[in-house]
Amino acid sequence: MVSVEFESVVKRFGSTVAVDRVSLKINEGELFFLLGPSGCGKTTCLRMVAGFISPDGGCLTFDGHDIGNMPPHRRNVGMVFQTYALFPHMTVEQNVAYGLRFRKVGAADRKRRTAEILERTRLEGLGKRLPAQLSGGQQQRVALARALVIQPDVLLLDEPLSNLDTRLRIEVREEIKKIHEEFRITALYVTHDQDEALSLADRLAVMRDGRIEQMGTPEDIYARPANAFVAGFVGDTNILSAAPAVRDGTSGIDTPAGWVPIGDNAGYALPVGEFDISVRPESVKLADPSECDAAGTVRSIDFFGSTARIILELDNGLELSALAVGPSTRWKKGSRAGIRLEAGDVVILK
Amino acid sequence: MSLSSSERPAAGTYAGTAAIVAFFLVFLFYPLLYVFRKSFIIDGGFSMTFFRQLLENPVMRESIVNSLVIGATVTIISAGLGFLFATLMVKTDMPFKGLWGNMLLAPIILPPFVAAIGVKYIFGKFGMVNSLLMQLDMIEPRHPIDWLGQPFWGVVILEALHLFPIMYLNIVGSFSLIDPSLEEAARGLGAKGLSLFRSITMPLLAPGFFAGSSIVFIWAFTDLGTPLLFEYRAVAPVQILNAVQAAQVNPIGYALVVVVLAVTVIFFAASKFMFGHRRFEMAAFGRTSGTLTRLSPLVKLLLVVFMTAFVLVSIIPHISVALVSFSQDWFMTVLPDAWTTEFYAKVFSHPIAALSMKNSMLFSSLSVILVLVMGGVIAYYLARKKFRGKEVLDACAMLPLAVPGVVLAFGYVQCFFGTPIDPRMNPVVLLVISYAVRRLPLVVRALYAGFQQSSVTLEEASQCLGASPGTTLRLITFPLIRANFLGAAILAFAFSMLEVSDSLILAMQEKFYPMTKAIYMLAGRLGDGGYIASAMGMLGVLLLAGAIMIAQRLIGSRMGDLFRA
Repeated sequence: MVSVEFESVVKRFGSTVAVDRVSLKINEGELFFLLGPSGCGKTTCLRMVAGFISPDGGCLTFDGHDIGNMPPHRRNVGMVFQTYALFPHMTVEQNVAYGLRFRKVGAADRKRRTAEILERTRLEGLGKRLPAQLSGGQQQRVALARALVIQPDVLLLDEPLSNLDTRLRIEVREEIKKIHEEFRITALYVTHDQDEALSLADRLAVMRDGRIEQMGTPEDIYARPANAFVAGFVGDTNILSAAPAVRDGTSGIDTPAGWVPIGDNAGYALPVGEFDISVRPESVKLADPSECDAAGTVRSIDFFGSTARIILELDNGLELSALAVGPSTRWKKGSRAGIRLEAGDVVILK
Repeated sequence: MSLSSSERPAAGTYAGTAAIVAFFLVFLFYPLLYVFRKSFIIDGGFSMTFFRQLLENPVMRESIVNSLVIGATVTIISAGLGFLFATLMVKTDMPFKGLWGNMLLAPIILPPFVAAIGVKYIFGKFGMVNSLLMQLDMIEPRHPIDWLGQPFWGVVILEALHLFPIMYLNIVGSFSLIDPSLEEAARGLGAKGLSLFRSITMPLLAPGFFAGSSIVFIWAFTDLGTPLLFEYRAVAPVQILNAVQAAQVNPIGYALVVVVLAVTVIFFAASKFMFGHRRFEMAAFGRTSGTLTRLSPLVKLLLVVFMTAFVLVSIIPHISVALVSFSQDWFMTVLPDAWTTEFYAKVFSHPIAALSMKNSMLFSSLSVILVLVMGGVIAYYLARKKFRGKEVLDACAMLPLAVPGVVLAFGYVQCFFGTPIDPRMNPVVLLVISYAVRRLPLVVRALYAGFQQSSVTLEEASQCLGASPGTTLRLITFPLIRANFLGAAILAFAFSMLEVSDSLILAMQEKFYPMTKAIYMLAGRLGDGGYIASAMGMLGVLLLAGAIMIAQRLIGSRMGDLFRA
């Protein structure tokens, strides 16, 4: 197992800069996520670790050793491809054992390790089948088994769940989590799906236009997004403009959704002048209009069972999204609702 | 910084490219440049003298005009037939489509110069048709009708029959790639009938249509074998054949070759540049099959009659060659008096025939090896590598489509005069190379299609798992496109066995005759020559038919693409 480090890595394709001075370190045994919209450079980063493309600038190291010049087949990297890339002319067993051929593993050992990994990925009994005879979820697990059986230094996962339907995706997500906890391999996982990143990652980096916008634990990034892009990309949010305003001797901020007391114990200084804040829908508390500083009319309700998403049109015309938990019968389309925000619900954006 | 396999070319790529470019320079560009230089340079200075002489020479002038007219007529007939049949098959609910689909392709397996041998026995002055008419007392024995008195039409009809399937395949291919919802959308917008055809269908078909046309035109314009067998000598390719030997003393041949090459290159380039860069075909998802025009029962009946009649006419040449090959002696009778298989036995015992079969097998096998290696490397580079000069490599690989066999063979004879591979002494090397060069576009396409079908991700997965690029090629890439390799090899072999122009021009001594040259020489002999030639022709036809059937299986539905320009 190794640690992987990007130091100011740059990659250009023609005149476009796909990866722009990216620096990050994936610790040994860590499951690290690159999260971002398509075209943000996350897959390019992953392919550089695999060795399919090489950096134009900066340095890419495994355990401190520069691997820029090393061809893919010498890197001992396991990769799960978005399309799985199972060899169609080989059986499941042959697919899984393929990598062992090049690792001087004896025939008996090869057989044992293949059987073992097939069992651990719940594929026993399917060894003699061809990939075309497997379901999507099974193919996915073969791809994972094939990458794991070689005991790679680094495991790369390139949008591994994007070809599965929603239910299977959640199932396999759990499986990947279990397998990673069991194997504790250094892993780099690339996705545009925030749910995958938030639920699986030890740490993650949010990318946009080839740059890292923010790096941290899922909790950090969700609770304290650095800017409007991260706030919007990781989870739903409301972005509001705000300005400092003192009321009755208490410091706070004025927002289109009313005045929010911040107090002096917030642990941070308020910026001067206008700035943006992010308010998560679940932080928007709805109450009786008469008790609140701001109010609006319910425009629509999306009911999800345990929760409901309520779109509120404020009297000043602004739309706000709120997430109501529990029975939401009280709010009906067209009814009036007041809004209450608290200091802890507000994240000030740079 | 570092290099990696799929991103930047390794030194090997440049070495491979350099080797291939060197091959092209020596065996494609040098012969052509040599011909150019000889035709324009007199005593060290530029001169158009030979071209003036060429155009002042009435025989030469007539030959060029005749060939142009043959090319144009064959193209128009083929295009008309191809378009008619493609439309009927794709757009209507004509009955027995499966049957017609196969029968329409039957003419492709019969090279017209083989067909010519049989047709002469049927339509000759003392052939089947006249004998039949004499028996019916419809003509006088002393005044038989000279059906082949106009060899122009004999050549045109046999070539058109052989070539219309290429147009048909191209047009059907274009039809099938056009999303029918486009036509439906246009209909929804108010376009009907002719205006729909003019505004939507024709522009979308045009690229495939012209791609097919340019192949057909170049083929017919430069075909040497068919006019030779009809003894129609006033055509450009036959004049080039004559000029091969005379070129050292009469350089007018160089000018003729330049003119022929100019015509084919202009034609090829026009179809390529007018339409090559804008292929409209789209592979839309969830494509509907489109609505078929419903034909009335009467129209259906008439179509069945017409199609049956056409198919029967189109296989007259096949039948005639078969009849000749099995007949004991066929002269002034409706059908041969007696049947025999002895001429098939003679194919393998007659000194000229047997040796030529052996020669052709050897030359074709060697050329297949050469073209597979070259085509494999080129297709792999084109499909998998990024490097400067890729367009040049692609263009080189497709260039033989624009350079006719007669031109290349003429160039070979002249520019390698006096070298160790001088075809006057021993043509084997140049025969093998010319067969390979002529089949290169087909092989590159078949293999390129294979490389494209097998995902590059599989190769990446293999490398990730520890296989070197070479091992990956052996264990993953090659097994996945083995079918394309086999299909390409079989087709290349069969086409090489039946290659006419290069064989007729390059093989000058009997001991080096390939099969086609032997067929030509035997067909011209009295006695059993024509029968043995027919038997050899039938074997060639069977070989080609088998090869196409197997290749179709192996390469699949993209076969039609191989016959495009």
